[in-house]
Order: sequence, then C-alpha cells, then structure tokens
Amino acid sequence: MKILESQNALLSNYEVYQHLVDQRKRNKAQNRRVPANAHQAMTEVAKYLSGKPSPLEKQEETQTYSPATISLLLEKLREANLPSELTKGELLSILNIRPSSTALLSTAIEDMEERFDDDNQNKIVDIIAEVLGSAEADEGGEEADEMDADAVPTVENGY
Amino acid sequence: MFILTKVADLVQIAPDDFRKPSHMAIEDNINSKYGNKVVQKIGLCICLWDILWTSEGLIGQGDGMVNINVEFRVVVFRPYKGEVIAARIMDQSPEGINLATDFFDDIFVPWTELPEGSEFEPSDNLWIWKEDDQAMYFDDNEMVRFRVITEEWHDQTPSKPVEAVEVPEGTEEAPAPPINTKPPYTITGSMSGPGLGCCLWWE
Repeated sequence: MKILESQNALLSNYEVYQHLVDQRKRNKAQNRRVPANAHQAMTEVAKYLSGKPSPLEKQEETQTYSPATISLLLEKLREANLPSELTKGELLSILNIRPSSTALLSTAIEDMEERFDDDNQNKIVDIIAEVLGSAEADEGGEEADEMDADAVPTVENGY
Repeated sequence: MFILTKVADLVQIAPDDFRKPSHMAIEDNINSKYGNKVVQKIGLCICLWDILWTSEGLIGQGDGMVNINVEFRVVVFRPYKGEVIAARIMDQSPEGINLATDFFDDIFVPWTELPEGSEFEPSDNLWIWKEDDQAMYFDDNEMVRFRVITEEWHDQTPSKPVEAVEVPEGTEEAPAPPINTKPPYTITGSMSGPGLGCCLWWE
C-alpha cells in the first residue's frame, strides 16, 4: 500500500451520501454483495447522514441538495456582497450543517462576529434557508401533506 | 468531514473470484481490505470511491492469484481541525463526555472543554450546564455538536513480548503485562461556544 495523496479532495456530506445511495442501487440491480466490513461502514455512514440533525434527513423525498442548488447557493452568496469572502472550508461546513440560526452559523464561519455584522449574518442564514431549505420547512411540508390527507375523507379512516 | 485519499496498492485476485468481471473483483478486494479500517495518519476508510488506473494482471508462480497494480481513491472519515460535527452522547464521567457517531466511536470531550459553568452530577451520572439560573442537561443518547480540536493516533502494530519479571519472594503473582488497548484513532472535541452542545438548545 502506498499513499499517493493523503488528501486528494474534500467531500461534502451530500456527495458521500449520494455515492452511498448510488452504490446501494447499483448493487441491488446487479445482485452484488459488498464485503461485510465495507457494508457495515457504508450502512452506518448512510444512517448517520440520513438521521437527525443532518440536513440530508429528508433528502430522499425533498431532493433539496443537488449540484444545481449548490452552485445556486454559491451564486447567491456571491451576489449578496458580503464584506468578507467565505473560504472553501466555511462553505463546505455551511453545506454540511445547513445553519438555521446565527448561533449555528458561527460554528461554520471563523471569527464570524468580527467579519460580519448582524445584518449580514441574517442575510447568510436567509440565503441558506431559501436555497437549501430548513428543518422546519421539511417538517412543515410533511405536516401540510398530512393535513391534506386528513381533509380528504377516505374509506380507510372511517369517514 | 470526509475526504478522498489516493492510494496505490497491489490487488491480488484469487481464482474463485475469476467469475466476476475484473473491475468488480478489484472493487470487492479493495473494499474488503480498506472498508471500516483506520489507516494511520489518514483516517477511517469507508469505501472505494473510484478506480483511476490498473495495470495488466500478472499471474505469479506457485499460486493462481492474479496480481494487479491499482491506483484508486477511497472515501475517508477525517474531520479537519476546527470542524463542527454532530455526534451522540454515549457515556459520561467526571473526566468528560464520550461521544460516538453511528460509524465512529472514539470521540472524547474533556471536562475542560465543556461550556463554562458545567457541573457533574454524580447521582445521575451526567453533566449539567448552568447558565443564568437555567440548567441544561447533557442527557445520554442526546445528539450534540462539537468542534474537533485534536486527533491522536496509536499504531496497532503488536508490541514485543514483555520479558518475565522475577517475582520477589512473598508476593503472589507478577503484575499483569500492559495490554495495548488504545484505539487507533481518537478525536478530542470541544463543546464550549455558541452553537455547540446539545442540538436542541439551539433550535
């Protein structure tokens, strides 16, 4: 074994998740078995990425993350005329965490208080919520669906 | 949190794998060698990402193995310093809190890195963060966010056998030789700061 490059690229959680989902689909289609140790690691990572509080929790239904939304997010952040530019690492953290408040945003951005004033912090949070959605929106969407289902009388629920 | 690492390795395909197409046999081989394993100073390997290059397969003398030199990339769990990730509280003690993600268990937050004003409650065996007369609990199994501060590597190569010590007269038996039980890769984290600690607090 020889390590050619210890860090060839950084991956966002979305890319890893997508890779795992694709692998699973392919293996199912071709009726292939993955070696047990790799299978364990892959299912556990997939479980972690699709569990709370990961923003990919509802990815399968909502498909909020996609290459298009990621470039849209970058575009919007560039258009927002922020006083200080976000680094690649900070953008990666934003994608992975999807901060829904300024407190959470400060975990993704270094020295946030000094680099951005309150207006700009809120602006960033708003852009994130607009492009990537938010946990509440995901939940809300579901509730709305449920309410719709309730509104329609069906044989199953006894109406 | 995850990175890609480029590796060159010799893949040996056993004859009973010849029924598989080459790329599948290579992939399975790499996955079984690297999947869920820690490589020192690299991180916890998850699975193969892609195969970049392969040589011709060569059969050596003596066995039927096909030897192929392969260059490939693997997905590796290696959070960078300062990154914030989510994990679950597994265990608590006066020394600090042990965290785990679904796939990685060796994360520790020492008591010095808990939010200021945190106290350990021995009767319930949990930490409480007291701020402005408000008590917030670090419950077991709660999802928390922490910041990666340091990482520690322990090579798992077997240590040489311990030479027998002469037991002085009168004592019962020799002290047990130290066993290497250190995990290969541990992460130390911090939970003091805005946005860190239980996820519920910040919603």
